[in-house]
Amino acid sequence: MELLTDGLLALLTAYLAFRCMLAPKLSKTVFTFFAFGLILALMWIRLGAVDVAIAEAAIASGFMGVLLLDSLRDFSPSYSEFEDNIEQPPNQVAFAKRSLSQWVPAIASGAGLLLFLFIALQAVREVPAGGGLAAFAEAKLPESGAEHPVTAVLLNFRAYDTLLEVAVILMGLLAIFAAGGIRQFRKPSLPPAKDPVLRKAILIFTPLLFLFGAFLLYIGKSGPGGAFQAAVLWGAIGILLHLGGWRIFNALSRRMRRIIIIAGPLFFLLTGFALMARSGTFLAYPPAFAGFLILIIETLAAVSIAAALTAIYAFLTD
Amino acid sequence: MIKEVFVVILLAVGCFFFLAGTLGLLRFPNLYARLHALTNADNLGVGFIAAGMALYIGSPWTAVKLFFIWILTLLSGATTSYLIARFRKEHDDSANGNGK
Amino acid sequence: METWEIYSLTSVVIFAIGLGGVFLVKHFLRKIIATVIMGGGVFLCFVSFAKRDTLNFPDPVPHALVITGIVVAVTAAAFALSLARRIHKITGEETFEEKE
Repeated sequence: MELLTDGLLALLTAYLAFRCMLAPKLSKTVFTFFAFGLILALMWIRLGAVDVAIAEAAIASGFMGVLLLDSLRDFSPSYSEFEDNIEQPPNQVAFAKRSLSQWVPAIASGAGLLLFLFIALQAVREVPAGGGLAAFAEAKLPESGAEHPVTAVLLNFRAYDTLLEVAVILMGLLAIFAAGGIRQFRKPSLPPAKDPVLRKAILIFTPLLFLFGAFLLYIGKSGPGGAFQAAVLWGAIGILLHLGGWRIFNALSRRMRRIIIIAGPLFFLLTGFALMARSGTFLAYPPAFAGFLILIIETLAAVSIAAALTAIYAFLTD
Repeated sequence: MIKEVFVVILLAVGCFFFLAGTLGLLRFPNLYARLHALTNADNLGVGFIAAGMALYIGSPWTAVKLFFIWILTLLSGATTSYLIARFRKEHDDSANGNGK
Repeated sequence: METWEIYSLTSVVIFAIGLGGVFLVKHFLRKIIATVIMGGGVFLCFVSFAKRDTLNFPDPVPHALVITGIVVAVTAAAFALSLARRIHKITGEETFEEKE
């Protein structure tokens, strides 16, 4: 029974990834990508990685999907790689159009891919069983200030990674500003959405999302959840409000925006240096305060990431 | 034993509604009918499956959580269906207006 | 066949599909989606080995790395999207192909 479930999920994922690349219409690619992300989230759950499943469904499928959907407006939605022949089966079209010499690179790259596939399959089958780091994590868990092993790894054992990752989000935001020209950010705001149903729905969802985000943030100490998942839910509030026409992020003053986005990584960094001054090691929490420090760092990081995600969305869609 | 029978029945009914909704989504002739089929799957399918899971797990706290999940699905499903239908209607109306 | 074996093999297939997509598919959006799919394959490989190394709980280190990885991948993809849209706005191109 388990084999059946896993096998079906595996086949479905591979099929969806394949369809995603070959769908005739661009819009279909994007919607297949949504489905792909959600099936991937189911796979994480099958592998016992509930935190990853929440992150995948919320960020990789949800947030990425919103951005892709919005870019569909820019690119012509009817764009097709197999131009003007959408009704015919694509392989017939390709056969009719291309001569032999055009097929050589396609066949060569196909063969190369197959070769790569077999080598990689062989490599994955022969990865030696090292035992991993689960035993270390378990032994050190009581000192970490978190009861959930993934949170402990994220914010204590490998806090350095997490700090740099928050910094990468900041850099991504800056890069997006740089690529688009910073002036676009200060466009006049659209009037709020007129539709009464949409307004009502947004007003209902905003406090619920906030509450759910706070719940995930708090529960991250002892179960699946944590700063990133909470951040995406809070970011979703910003995106929803933007969709409804309330440009909440643009309403804040520039300085306020900067402070909010910087607060998380800055506090993280300062804590790291303060702890270094105290004990000589970067980000070595004293076990007595670890839980408290982790909670503050997580909250500030979540607020910053949420603001950064909202800013990315607001900037890309204006 | 009786509890398991009920759970299986609830889950089966939920899956049936999902199947019917998906069939409708694939086979119905126009957008409004398809949206209608989709709401069937959303509301009743998710509702029955959530009820079955709540019964299976048997803790009141989980039942409350599942109930809220169902309500949220209802809310978001209804809103998106409404928005899609309204967009389509405006689109059709403006197309007809230009045609005349 | 164990659960983790199935998924580690699937991860290779997904990665290969994404890799093929990056090279063979022409439209910007599809190339970006292909890289995200490739990333999904890598993450799946990681987490399937975490499942193999389960003691009382699955190995948490790959889980944490994958969570940070997902966020970074999405940020990078958002940056790529902004570049693609910028290119499209300036040149009107949707692919890197030369127009005849």
